[in-house]
This record gives sequence, structure tokens and C-alpha cells, in this order.
Amino acid sequence: MKTYEVFLKKAGRDEFRHAGSLDAPDPEMALMYARETHARRAEGAEMWLVERGNVLVADPDALAVNDDKPHRHNDGTLVAARRKERREGDDS
Amino acid sequence: MHTLADPPTMRGRSWADLDDFQAFIDGGGMVEPGDDMPTEYRDEVFRFIEFHANSELMGGLTERDWIPHAPGLRLKQIFLAKTQDEIGHAHLLYMVAADMGVKTRTEMLEQLFDGRSRFHNVFHYQAVTWADQVAIAFLVDAAAFASQRAVFAECTYGPYKRVLKRIVAEEGFHMRHGEEMLLRLATGTPTQHEMFQAALDRWWWPAVQLFGPDSPPGDADPLIRWKIKSQRNEDLRQAYVQKYVPLLHGYGFEIPDPELRQDAEGVWRAGTIDWEPLKATMRQGGPDSKRRIATAAANWADTAWVREALEVSA
Repeated sequence: MKTYEVFLKKAGRDEFRHAGSLDAPDPEMALMYARETHARRAEGAEMWLVERGNVLVADPDALAVNDDKPHRHNDGTLVAARRKERREGDDS
Repeated sequence: MHTLADPPTMRGRSWADLDDFQAFIDGGGMVEPGDDMPTEYRDEVFRFIEFHANSELMGGLTERDWIPHAPGLRLKQIFLAKTQDEIGHAHLLYMVAADMGVKTRTEMLEQLFDGRSRFHNVFHYQAVTWADQVAIAFLVDAAAFASQRAVFAECTYGPYKRVLKRIVAEEGFHMRHGEEMLLRLATGTPTQHEMFQAALDRWWWPAVQLFGPDSPPGDADPLIRWKIKSQRNEDLRQAYVQKYVPLLHGYGFEIPDPELRQDAEGVWRAGTIDWEPLKATMRQGGPDSKRRIATAAANWADTAWVREALEVSA
């Protein structure tokens, strides 16, 4: 038995999403199980199956928010304050 | 470099102690399979999911028994689809449970068929007539559905919450089929009405007991503390009584509870609940436990050749 991860994509512009996993002896059975377990009611217009051992997992620490890189974000505080000031100025 | 096939705990978050973990849960944290979760959490959540998976499987096998007896082609098709849904739910849940690394899927199935695992009390009784199956499809499924939704509402274990989303959606279809079947019996011939009343007399108490005795005081229940359950057993049970008593009265049925009363605020209060029947089912000592487990085990044995053929072809 091999474990497969199942991804489904609805018709339209949505991205593929992880739908679950299943055990199957070969790729053909995996596709059939996936259709019967995950797509009985048009849950997806497209389906991907990937053997679990082929999914690389990134280190969560490497993905943690970069507190030392504030230049990658801008919370817009300064501009928002200026706009608020202008709006309040208009009201008076 | 890791892949998803590696043992998960090599790469997730970890917590200093249970207090640290509790603070994470209280702060809205979600636990994922890669996390080094406390053993207590892993064991409790695993047991809960395994119980749910077993119940879906045993429920699916019950539905299957009624496919040949369902009146008319449309209802046979509905029962086929529902059976497939329930078995599908069991599949999803067994995968989530197996990934917790406590037992393999095969171990869970073999222990269930050996009579060593627990499943919902309602699948320890026999459905005598078609009306019993309607009572199960409506009243019993509604009770199970209410408790699943209450888990889905918070559920700090990510993979469980994600499969519950799908399970809850499908159980919604089942509810609509269930009430439609009830409507047909309730508004049918006097014999059909009597048949459903007799079924209600058999199934009301098991459905009410499904929610279990009152939760232990405060947050003594770890499943409440760790936000797997979002509501207490007694609150879910009370909401069920409040919803289904008027609905069944509306269809002209009597609730088999002589102490049932409506208080000054209009709230329906069930009489004293005898918990012995529920406890008996947890020891596999329910009225139909032995036959149900034997049937499920026979089904597993009968299909062994399919599993062997698949292994050979792989």
C-alpha cells in the first residue's frame, strides 16, 4: 500500500486545495478511490494525486514571520493618518 | 530535507509542558500532524476520532442492510448513496486517525471487528421495520449530526476539522432525506403512522442517550479543555429535546417519556434518563451488539480476497 495525497480544484479560478489522503496499492486504484471518496458530488473539476513520499516539506522555522525584515511590509499607518486628517478637515 | 512520508513529529512545533500547550489552545491555536503534541492530547483526540470512524462504518453497514428492503427504486438509490457516504466518512476519519501514529488503519479495523473497540450506542440496536430505519435516518442521525457540528465548531486538531467540514455537509443531505421519509410515513396510512410511532418508542431513548451523561463539571473534560468539543453533553442533549419534541408532536406522534414536561418558559424537559442501556452498549452488551459486530467481521473476512488481490497486483 502507498499513501497518496489528494488535491481538488473546483471549476473556475480557485486554486487546487488539499482534500485528504488515502491508501491504495497502485496509481490506478488510487485514482478510483480518490474519485469515490473525495469527488462524489462535484467537489472538483480537476484532481491531482501525489504519493506522500514525493511531497517535500519545508522547515516551519524557515517560514516564520521575518521580524527582522520590516521593509517587506508596510502597514500604511502614516498614509492612513494623513487621510483621516483630511476627511475630518472636510467635515468641519 | 523532509517529505510528508517521514514521521511527522520530526518537524513540527513543540510545547514545554501542558500549561504551555493550553495557552496555545486558548489563544486560538490549531494543532497539525507534524506538531510534537502532548501525549495526553494525542491519545484523547485519537480515541475520539477512532470512535467516530468506527461509528460511521457501523452506521454505513446498517444502511447497507436496508438497501434491498427500501420501498421503491428511488429510496434504494438514496440508501445506496448514503451507504457510500457513511463508508466514505469512515475512510476519511481512519486516515486522519492513522496519521496520529497511535494505531494503523488495519489495527483499528481488526480491533473493531474483534469487539474490542467502541462505537455509538445507537448501532447496538436492531432496526425491526422500515419505520425503524426512518427513525434512524432522521432522529438518530440528527443526534449524531448535532454532536458532530458541535465538534466542527471549534476542533483544534486541523485534519479532523477539515474532514468534518465535508462530513457535516453530507450529513446535511441525509437530514433532508430523513425528514422527507418521516413526512411520508407521518402523512401516510394509519398503519404507517402506527409503524413510525412503534419505531419512535424504540429509538427515542437511544437517540437522547447518544449525547452521553452530563459532562464533568467545569473544564474537567479534557476534550472541552482542548477545544475538541465546543459544547457540553447536557447542553447538546437539551437542544435536541427542545427541537425534536415539538417537531414530532407536530407530526402527531407521542414521545415515550411519561415525565416529559414543558416548563414555565416553554422549554421541554426530558424525564430521568436511565444510563444503564448506554453503558451496556459501551461493553458490547447492547441488544444487537453481538450480531452487528459479527456481521461487520464477516464482511471483513468475506472481502479478504479483494485486499489480497490488490496487494498481489501492486
